[in-house]
Amino acid sequence: MNTTFSFNRLGLLIKRYFVENKQRELSFWGIVIVVFMIMHESSAIEVFFYISGFIFAARMFKIFSYTPGGMHYLLIPATHFEKLITAILLSTVYFFIMLLISYSIGNALGTTLGNLIFNMQNPVSLDLFQMESITKVWGNQVVTHNGLVSIFLNFALIQSVFLLGSVYFKKNAIGRTFLTFIFITIVIGLIEVLILRVTFGTFSLTGQNMNLTISGDNLFPGFEQAGKIVKYLMIPFFWVVAYFRLTEKQV
Amino acid sequence: MIDIKNVDFSYSRNAKLLSGLSLKLETGRIHGLLGKNGEGKSTLLKLISGLVFPIHGSIDVMGFDPQKRTPEMLQDIFFLPEELPQLPLSIKNYEEVYAPFYPNFNAEQFNSYLKEFEIDDKKAMLNKLSHGQKKKVFVSFGLATNTKLLLMDEPTNGLDIPSKGQFRRMVATAVDESRCLIISTHQVRDLDSLIDSIMIMDGHEIVFNEPNENITKKLLFKVVDHNDTDESVIYSEESMRGLYQVRENTTGEESKLDIELLFNAVFTDKKRIMNLFN
Repeated sequence: MNTTFSFNRLGLLIKRYFVENKQRELSFWGIVIVVFMIMHESSAIEVFFYISGFIFAARMFKIFSYTPGGMHYLLIPATHFEKLITAILLSTVYFFIMLLISYSIGNALGTTLGNLIFNMQNPVSLDLFQMESITKVWGNQVVTHNGLVSIFLNFALIQSVFLLGSVYFKKNAIGRTFLTFIFITIVIGLIEVLILRVTFGTFSLTGQNMNLTISGDNLFPGFEQAGKIVKYLMIPFFWVVAYFRLTEKQV
Repeated sequence: MIDIKNVDFSYSRNAKLLSGLSLKLETGRIHGLLGKNGEGKSTLLKLISGLVFPIHGSIDVMGFDPQKRTPEMLQDIFFLPEELPQLPLSIKNYEEVYAPFYPNFNAEQFNSYLKEFEIDDKKAMLNKLSHGQKKKVFVSFGLATNTKLLLMDEPTNGLDIPSKGQFRRMVATAVDESRCLIISTHQVRDLDSLIDSIMIMDGHEIVFNEPNENITKKLLFKVVDHNDTDESVIYSEESMRGLYQVRENTTGEESKLDIELLFNAVFTDKKRIMNLFN
């Protein structure tokens, strides 16, 4: 018997999820398609991706919120690694693919219905699939050089944070993860400001992905890419922490 | 099968629930785990299955460390908790999803147990069943997994009177020399014909752990008409039928073990009973 990883057990865990959540999945994706029929602005769609995603991720280990469910789950004969991989595949890969499929169906249905009702000839436009695009996030224009990949990586990062929150917090995982995330962001921001003050004697540096500039001059060329790498390395980091948290789980 | 050495456990820093608990259990027996409320019986079952971890000490279950919760160990353990999970699955789906995790699961056995419990509709949803019905499904499934270790926490709670008899029959036929069953219960009358080894917990530890044959060798369970001051009497209790007594068995006389009387005797004169058996 493979003591670390077995595709058979992984398959059984995935099957378990779909059999147990069949009704919820069907109704949820039905609603999502309707939402995408109405929603057309790509920035709003992107925000919907992230919000629905983290709610889904934060519910991955909701079973621990009530003891008999948590006991039943922990006693399923599979490794912690297989259980975590199942949660990652479902919350990150499956959910993202389903969002894209629902987006395509919803968009196509919405446009077709709109054309029929209002007698128009609008083409179906799937902006989200453009690989190079300029999108608006919260009203600000943000250049995304590889749109969909970038959206997926940001999505995976948010999912990894909320997946960890789901294992970590027994109850109200969404709210508690969100508050913890804000708290940590504020603390890091304060540290950053203090370092800038001590190092350069100013608070007026602009810093985004470690691309520090004074009057338009980049202080550390190449740091932008390094910043991105560090940012995305946080995804496996949160997964690893979630794994150890799962191994330590007691109910 | 199970070897627990000097285990300490607590849910909070201030109050220890288990302290220096040691225990050895062999296969081929149905062990009854008895104790007052809050003594840690359910916690002991959780420790054995790896649901909680000891603060100090070691636990060995079939050669595995339960804390690691490896699939090799878990596929040979079935734990029936007192409170059952609410799963949005039909009985049929539950079998389809969970049976493949247990290599020795026997579908025919599962169906025959369900039939004996008079559960005919496998399309019934588990979360819509009454507590008793759900318990019957989980008992049937647990026995059909053919795991080496079966842990049951208050298995007869919620079962109606005919079902308790059916439960006893099923367990008696399902447990063989290769299996070990631990039943934690307060309902000793439901299970006294089934249990063949008794463990009693008191004061955060196991104070008594003996097979039935040893118990009746050393203790005599009798009903007498009048109270006598014989020194061999350890415990006596009045009832409509007379005076129930637990005595030291100095004559080698045979008697039928009464678990409830034994339990009360242990709590009345723990030291004397411990000396007698050690």
